[in-house]
Amino acid sequence: MTMLVPPPPAPVETAPSNRPRRRSRDVGVTVALVASVLLVAVGSVVPLTAMLSTALSGSALPRYAQFVTSSTDLAILRNTLVLGLLVGACGTAIGFLFAFVQTRLAVPGKRILHVVALLPIVSPPFAVATAAIVLYGRQGAVTHGLLGVEYDIYGLDGLVLVLSLSLFPVAYLGMLGMMRGLDPAMEEAAMNMGASRWQIFRTVQLPLLAPGLAAPFLLLFVEGIADLANPLALGGDYTVLASRAYLAVTGEYDTTSAAVYSLILLVPSVALFLAQRYWLGRKIRTTITGKPSGTVHLITGWARWPILALAVFVSLIVVSLYGTVLLGSLTRVFGVDNTLTLQHFREVVLGAGREALRDTTLLAAVATPVAGLFGLLIAWLVTRRLRRAAGWLDFAGTLGVAVPGTVLGIGYLLAYRPDRYVGDLLVLPGLVGGTAIAGGSLAIVLAYITRSVPAGLRTGGAALTQLDPGLEEASMNLGAGSVRTFRRVVVPLIRPALLTGLSYSFARSMTSISTVILLVTPNTKIITSQILSAANTGRYGVAFAYCTVLTAVVLAGFGLIRLLIGGAVVLHRTAAPTGRTPR
Amino acid sequence: MTTTRSGERLVPPKAGTDAGALRLDRLTKTFASKSGAVTAVDDVTLDVRPGEFITLLGPSGCGKTTTLRIVAGFETATSGHILLDGTSIDRTPPQRRTMAMVFQSYALFPHLSVGENIAYGLKLRRHDHDDVRTAMQIALTSMNLVGLENRFPHELSGGQQQRVALARALIMQPTVLLFDEPLSNLDAKLRGAMRAEIRRIQRRLGITSLYVTHDQDEAMSMSDRIVVMNKGRVEQVATPAEIYFRPATIFVADFIGRANFVEVVPEQVTDGAALVNALGERLRVAAHPAVRANSPAYLMIRPETISLQPAGDAGIGAVLRSTFHGHSVDYEVETISGTLHVTEAGPDPDALIDVGTNVAITLRPDRSYVLNGSWTGPDRTAPTD
Repeated sequence: MTMLVPPPPAPVETAPSNRPRRRSRDVGVTVALVASVLLVAVGSVVPLTAMLSTALSGSALPRYAQFVTSSTDLAILRNTLVLGLLVGACGTAIGFLFAFVQTRLAVPGKRILHVVALLPIVSPPFAVATAAIVLYGRQGAVTHGLLGVEYDIYGLDGLVLVLSLSLFPVAYLGMLGMMRGLDPAMEEAAMNMGASRWQIFRTVQLPLLAPGLAAPFLLLFVEGIADLANPLALGGDYTVLASRAYLAVTGEYDTTSAAVYSLILLVPSVALFLAQRYWLGRKIRTTITGKPSGTVHLITGWARWPILALAVFVSLIVVSLYGTVLLGSLTRVFGVDNTLTLQHFREVVLGAGREALRDTTLLAAVATPVAGLFGLLIAWLVTRRLRRAAGWLDFAGTLGVAVPGTVLGIGYLLAYRPDRYVGDLLVLPGLVGGTAIAGGSLAIVLAYITRSVPAGLRTGGAALTQLDPGLEEASMNLGAGSVRTFRRVVVPLIRPALLTGLSYSFARSMTSISTVILLVTPNTKIITSQILSAANTGRYGVAFAYCTVLTAVVLAGFGLIRLLIGGAVVLHRTAAPTGRTPR
Repeated sequence: MTTTRSGERLVPPKAGTDAGALRLDRLTKTFASKSGAVTAVDDVTLDVRPGEFITLLGPSGCGKTTTLRIVAGFETATSGHILLDGTSIDRTPPQRRTMAMVFQSYALFPHLSVGENIAYGLKLRRHDHDDVRTAMQIALTSMNLVGLENRFPHELSGGQQQRVALARALIMQPTVLLFDEPLSNLDAKLRGAMRAEIRRIQRRLGITSLYVTHDQDEAMSMSDRIVVMNKGRVEQVATPAEIYFRPATIFVADFIGRANFVEVVPEQVTDGAALVNALGERLRVAAHPAVRANSPAYLMIRPETISLQPAGDAGIGAVLRSTFHGHSVDYEVETISGTLHVTEAGPDPDALIDVGTNVAITLRPDRSYVLNGSWTGPDRTAPTD
C-alpha cells in the first residue's frame, strides 16, 4: 500500500500519454476558466500593466538616464542585489545545516530543532526585526547589556541576519525533502566500495544535492530583494529598491519615480523567479531505476557534535528573538523595565488596535477561501484541462508572488485609485484611497487573494500530478460533468493540499505588508501597518503585543481551517496508477 | 545478445584462489517495532565454500535481504558471527569488508559517468591513475560497455545499467560478491540473458557469491546451492535438484514449483523409502529421514509427473477444470484424496481431455517424495516482493 500523501519527494517520471485526453469542454469548465482568467487579470495583470505603462511612458524615460548616472540610485541597486545575494546564500546555508542535522546525524533533540526551524513561518513582519533591535541593537539587551559592545545593527548586517533567519525555513523544508529523497543505496554503494563518511559526503551527497541548492537560493534571493518590512524597520541608511519605491509614493507622492524603481526591481525578481521555477522543473535524477532501498546510516562519530553545536547556536538566536517578542509584549520596556504588564495587550485588543484587528481578520477571512478555491481551480485547469494556454495561466497565477509586493501595490495605486469613466459614465469607482468604495477594503481583499493564490496553485498542482487522471476519467465516464468531478472526486482526494493552501493563504494574508501598506486608508486599518508605526515610534511593547496577537489569530485560523476541512487524511491507493501523468 | 568477447579476463585472479570461505554462525537479527520485537533473521547458520554461488531464496519478509545486509555490514546482527576465511568480520565496518555488492536499484551515481562510476572505488583507494584507467578499460571491455564510458547512467538501458553495476563491483576484486535482487528491474527476456552472464563471469573468476532473490526460477538456474528461507529461518540448504525433488519441508515443496499433497500413513519405512497407499495404489516412494512408519505424512506429487487416461467407469477421478496454455494443459482432477493438479506438457492436440471425463491416474513413485509436517492447504503466500 502506498500512502498518497505526502507526495514522495522523488521526481515523477512523466511518460507521454499514449492515448488522447478527452477534450470535451463543458459549461462548467468554461465558467471556471473565465472566472480564473478574470481574477488573475484584475488581481495582477491589470495593475502590472498600469505600472509598466507608467514606467515606460514618455515622462518616465528621462528617469532612467538619471538612474544610471546617479551614484545614489546605483548604490540602491547594488544594495538590493548584495542583500539578495547574501540572504540567498546565508538562508540556504542555514536551511542545509538544519536539514543535514535532521536527516544525517545521530543526535538527540532533533524534533526540537525541527520545531525551531518552523517557527519563522508564521512570523509577522517586523517581529524578528524589532526583537533583533531590542536584543542586538545599539542599546540591545545582549550586545550592550550583556557584552557591553556598541553594535549598530541597522544596515546590511542586521538585514541579512533578520531576513536569513526569517526565510530559511523555506530552504530547510525543501532540502529536507531532497535529503530524504536521496536513495540510501547510493550511500551504501559508496560505503561498500570503501568510501569514508567524509568521502561519501564530498563525492556522493554534495554533488547530488548541489543542483537542488539553486532553487532555494534563487527563491530566497527573490524574497530578500522584494522584502519591504525589514528595510523599513532595520535598514537605517541602507536603502534598497523596495524601500526607495515605497518612499517615492508615500513621502514624495511621485508615482512616476515609484514606477521606475518598481520596474528596475521587477526585472531581476521575475527573472530569478523564473530561473528558480526552471531549476525545480528540471528532472533531477536522484535515482535511476527501481525503488529506493537500504537504510540511512546516521553519522555517529565525533564530527556530529560541532555540526550540531552550529545548529543549536542558530536555534538559540531564533528562540531568543521569538522569546523577546513574547516577553516584550508582557513587560513595560523589555530589558529596561521588566515589570510585567498587560497594558500593551490592552491597547491592542481593547484600544487603538481593536479596529485593525477586526478589519484585518475579517478581510483575511474573506480572502482565504476565495484564494484557496481559485488556487486549486487554476491548478486543475492547468494540469488537466488546458494544453497550450496552461503555461500562461500558470504563469499569470504565479505573478502574485513572483512580483515584489511593493511593485504590486504601486500597480494597484496606479490602476485602481482613479475613478474610471467611459464618456461621462462612471464605470469603475476608485478602489484605493480615502474616497474609495468600502474604505478601500475591496482592493485589500483583492491584494490578499492575489498574493495567496500562488501557494494554493503550487500545492494543488503538486497534489494533482500525483493523482491518477484515470480517477477523473472514470468519474466522467460514469456520467459526471467536469464541475461535479472536480467537486466530488478531485477536491476530496487532494484535501491535504487544500488544507495547506488555505492555511498558507490565511497566514500570508494576515501577515502581508508590502502590498497592503500602500492600500490602507483611514477607514480600513491593517495590523501590519500598525506594527510598523509602533516600531518606528519606539513603542516596541505595543509592536510585540500586535505580533503576539497576530500570531495567535493565525494559529487559531489554522485550527479552524483544519476543523472545517478535516485533519490529516490518509488515502490508500487501491492500485498503482497507470503509467502516465498528465502533461 | 549480452555476451562479451570471450578469452579476456576481467581482473587477474588473486594469488591463492581458495580465498572467500564465508561462514554465517547462528546469525540472529531482531528489530524493535511498535508491536514488540520482530525477528527478521532467526539463528541462521551457513557455510559458503570458496567460489560457490549460493542463493538466498524465500518470500518477501523471509529475512534474506537482511541476512545479505548483515554480511555486507549495513546492518549489525543482534547475535551470531560472520567469518571470512576463518576471521571474524563482525566489527569490520562495511568500508573495509572486501565484499562488493550489486544493488537492486543498481545505485549508480547519477552525477558520474559510466567510467567514473566504475572507477569510483579504485580512485578512493588512491590507486595510480594509469592503473585505474587500465582496470577500467578491462572492466568496460569484459562487460561489453566499450564506448559508453562517457555516458551518464540515465542515458543507458536497464541492461546496460545492470552491467555497469556489475563492472563497478568486480573492479574492486572482492573476495565475496553480494547480489540484492539485481535482476528484478529488468524485463523477462533481458533477465534470462543477464542470469547466464552473471553466472559465466562468476564461474570464470571463481568469486564466492551470495545472491538474494524471490524468483525461484532465477535461483534454480543460477545456483550451486539454494538456501530456502521462511520467517527468518533456514528451511533447507541444498542443490537446486535436491530442493525440487527432495524438499525437506512442506514449505519448500510448496514454494518451489507446484506440488500436490496427499495425506498418507506409511506402512513401513526402509532404506529411505516408505510404503504408502495413495489413490488406490500401493507405492514405494523415497522419504525424508524424519518420516516414521504408522505416523501421518504427506506424499508430494509434482503436477507434471502425473499422467491421465480417459477411463470411463474404471476411472478414479473426474476432470473438474481444464486450462489450456499452449505449451501445456493444466487439469484439476477430483479424486477420493482431494483435488489433484495435473500438468501435461506438450499436449497432444487430438487427446485433450474434456471437463467431466472420468480418468485413470498414473503416478511416478520415483519422482515423488514422502515428507512430514503440516500443510494448511493450497492458499499459500504468494512469493511476491
